[in-house]
Amino acid sequence: MYQRRLLASTALCALMLGATPVATFAETPPDTLVQAWSIDDIISLDPAEIFEFTASEIAGNTYETLITYDPKNVSDVFGKAADSWTVSEDGMTISFTMKADRTFASGNPITAEDAVFSLVRAVKLNKSPAFIIGQLGITPENADEMIVQTGDMTFDFKMDKAYSPSLALYCLTATVASVVDKKLAMEHEANGDFGYEWLKTNYAGSGPFIIKDWRPNEAVILERNENYSGEAAPMARVIYRHIPETSSQRLLLAKGDIDIARNLTAEDIAALKDDANIKIESGVKGSLYYLGMSQKNEYLSKPQVRQAMKYLVDYDAIANTIMSGKVKVHQAFLPEGFLGAYNENPFTLDIEKAKALLAEAGLADGFTVTMDTRNTPEITAMAQAMQQTMAQAGITLEIIPGDGKQTLTKYRARSHDIYIGRWGPDFQDPHTNSSTFAYNPDNSDEATSKPLAWRNAWDIPELTASTDAAMLESDPDKRAEMYIADQKKVMEEGPFVIYAQEIEVLGERANVNGVIVGPSFNDNNFSKVTK
Amino acid sequence: MTTREWLLSDNPVSRRQARLGQSYRTWLDFRRNGLAMFGLAIVLVLVLVAIFAPWLAPHDPLIGDLRTTRLLPPLSEGHLLGTDDQGRDILSRLIWGSRITLAVVALVVVIATPVGLLVGTTAGYFGGWVDTVLMRFTDVVLAFPKLILALAFVAALGPGIENAIIAISITAWPPYARLARAETLTIRNSDFIAATKLQGARPARIIWKHVVPLCMSSVIIRVTLDMAGIILTAAGLGFLGLGAQPPQPEWGAMIAGGRNFLVDQWWVATMPGLAIFIVSLGFNLLGDGLRDVLDPRRRT
Repeated sequence: MYQRRLLASTALCALMLGATPVATFAETPPDTLVQAWSIDDIISLDPAEIFEFTASEIAGNTYETLITYDPKNVSDVFGKAADSWTVSEDGMTISFTMKADRTFASGNPITAEDAVFSLVRAVKLNKSPAFIIGQLGITPENADEMIVQTGDMTFDFKMDKAYSPSLALYCLTATVASVVDKKLAMEHEANGDFGYEWLKTNYAGSGPFIIKDWRPNEAVILERNENYSGEAAPMARVIYRHIPETSSQRLLLAKGDIDIARNLTAEDIAALKDDANIKIESGVKGSLYYLGMSQKNEYLSKPQVRQAMKYLVDYDAIANTIMSGKVKVHQAFLPEGFLGAYNENPFTLDIEKAKALLAEAGLADGFTVTMDTRNTPEITAMAQAMQQTMAQAGITLEIIPGDGKQTLTKYRARSHDIYIGRWGPDFQDPHTNSSTFAYNPDNSDEATSKPLAWRNAWDIPELTASTDAAMLESDPDKRAEMYIADQKKVMEEGPFVIYAQEIEVLGERANVNGVIVGPSFNDNNFSKVTK
Repeated sequence: MTTREWLLSDNPVSRRQARLGQSYRTWLDFRRNGLAMFGLAIVLVLVLVAIFAPWLAPHDPLIGDLRTTRLLPPLSEGHLLGTDDQGRDILSRLIWGSRITLAVVALVVVIATPVGLLVGTTAGYFGGWVDTVLMRFTDVVLAFPKLILALAFVAALGPGIENAIIAISITAWPPYARLARAETLTIRNSDFIAATKLQGARPARIIWKHVVPLCMSSVIIRVTLDMAGIILTAAGLGFLGLGAQPPQPEWGAMIAGGRNFLVDQWWVATMPGLAIFIVSLGFNLLGDGLRDVLDPRRRT
């Protein structure tokens, strides 16, 4: 035992030496929150473009959206920059009234003009998240007519159909609907870009923190917004340090060089549980882990094979070992916490049943398929676990590793057999997932809309119609029922083996309090943190 | 007369006796070098383990049990070296992995050595523009660091053990070409070559029958010394996910899989690391010993 510890600590020291490039101090300053996270996914700080995990979280802490929801109870929607709103009789116009006497970090007042500017700007710039507003029938061409200022503090938001009100409202809780300081942004406008080039690396918001500095692959520094209209944040600074190695994060946390470690592995969590200086905070996220099986593959297109695959994943073992503490078993396409989420998990590992199903499909001797696998440790480990259980039913699963870009490109081009992936909802309305797992208006290779069902070449006219219908249903109970029926159908017949829902885990020093871990990354909030 | 006396006879009566006698003397020389013998023993054990893997391995190298045997420490019951994150027995994986390691080494040597020899001897023998073209091409390949070039090739060919072997071979031949050329230059103007030429032998025959055999000993030394490097390159590719693919028990890939557990479950990465270390050491010692006995300049 002693020897093992000695070896472990030797390895630890070696790691420490390699992992701390900057001068180490024993404790972080009392007014500064230091987090270690892998922040290499940030490509822009403009809310009209932000669509990545890390940047979303930063936007959530530095910008304010029109409306928001309680992270503990997603169905409780309330105004943030907006004070109130009314939906017109025909359900096609929402009239917003802004909160009075609020200012941006620059000192400029927040008015309806800024809100209209921000939404129109997002649609016209047409970056990755623009579709969230665009799906309500607002295009770059008609944006100026659809989003109209009606007074100093009021504006109308028009849609092309009477969408379910909750869908429209949840869309406006996404980071893309953040309110941007029009005056400041337009000061930096160049070539009619609405200040996009400048905002990519700068800040024009009104949240509890301001973005002070972003050094790619090094750090992001947030500072307290002294002009914040709400309650001032106790922390003067929040610093994100880019530390990709999970073991380095763990060691820094144990030493007190950082306050929060964001990428701990299941093993790290288990080991840190007993440390009195450290506590583990977790929150259920909306992201789902799933396998996508291409219907272009001759074996996977057989319904019995698709069923059999669902019996060949050891759901519990994966959730309790490799991903212990970081996921929970979930098999429907709406994550727990969403309206209409179906929380039953009918599938378990059952080799005999799978074999019977394969025999029924005329494949009693099994077959060989490939699986494109992102070469991160967790995804690779889960893929190997599935490889083992599938081998027991005679299915040879060949793992093709690649980095995220390679595997995703292949998946998007529909040239995979099986893809092991992770799907994060774009906003908190069930339509976000329904419109990708159960929606495929055009299954041809040239289709313009490319949801997950399309990527897996799953032709589903009925479910597509059902998704469209649910999007327009205004009665929440009825809508939930429609989604439950769709989920059961996808579960039974679909080309997706959904096996887990993510739980985000943060390792914190024991003196850190008040961290809010929400269902989506922009809901993670540090404005109330004390230490 | 004992066999030994026959072999060591100062007056061999046949060519065969002379040749065997020479080999025996080399062996006697070699045997005196303790470290070299140690290296030879390691390599022999590796070969035996690879041959008898199915009988030696206590468990299936590919199938583990997540629920019961995950991350067991070394010396656990039934798992001498512990188990990895998929619940697979590390000892069994190391034993099966020796086959992959040996196959990589053997194939690379079989591919790279003849190519290097051919290019080098041809360039050295003909000289002139043939020499310039071949050697400049060799320089081009040599200009890149081995691992980087192998990485580029694997990236282009696609990951996999076969492609890794091809990529390593492509990067491994230039030193042999250089060596063979240098040796060839020293003997191309010798009298016996001139004599063979006078008898009407064609260049191909001269190179193959008279030049290549004389280059062999230095190339063998170099190849043996390079074997450790080949193992490390293969492990490096495996570590980066470009060599053997999961679930194959390739040692480099095993280290990559274990590095996430380094702090708490050190054995997952350490055991394959030790295996690579020991085998590389074995090949290096063996190569050193061979150089001592085969290198004509060192012979007294």
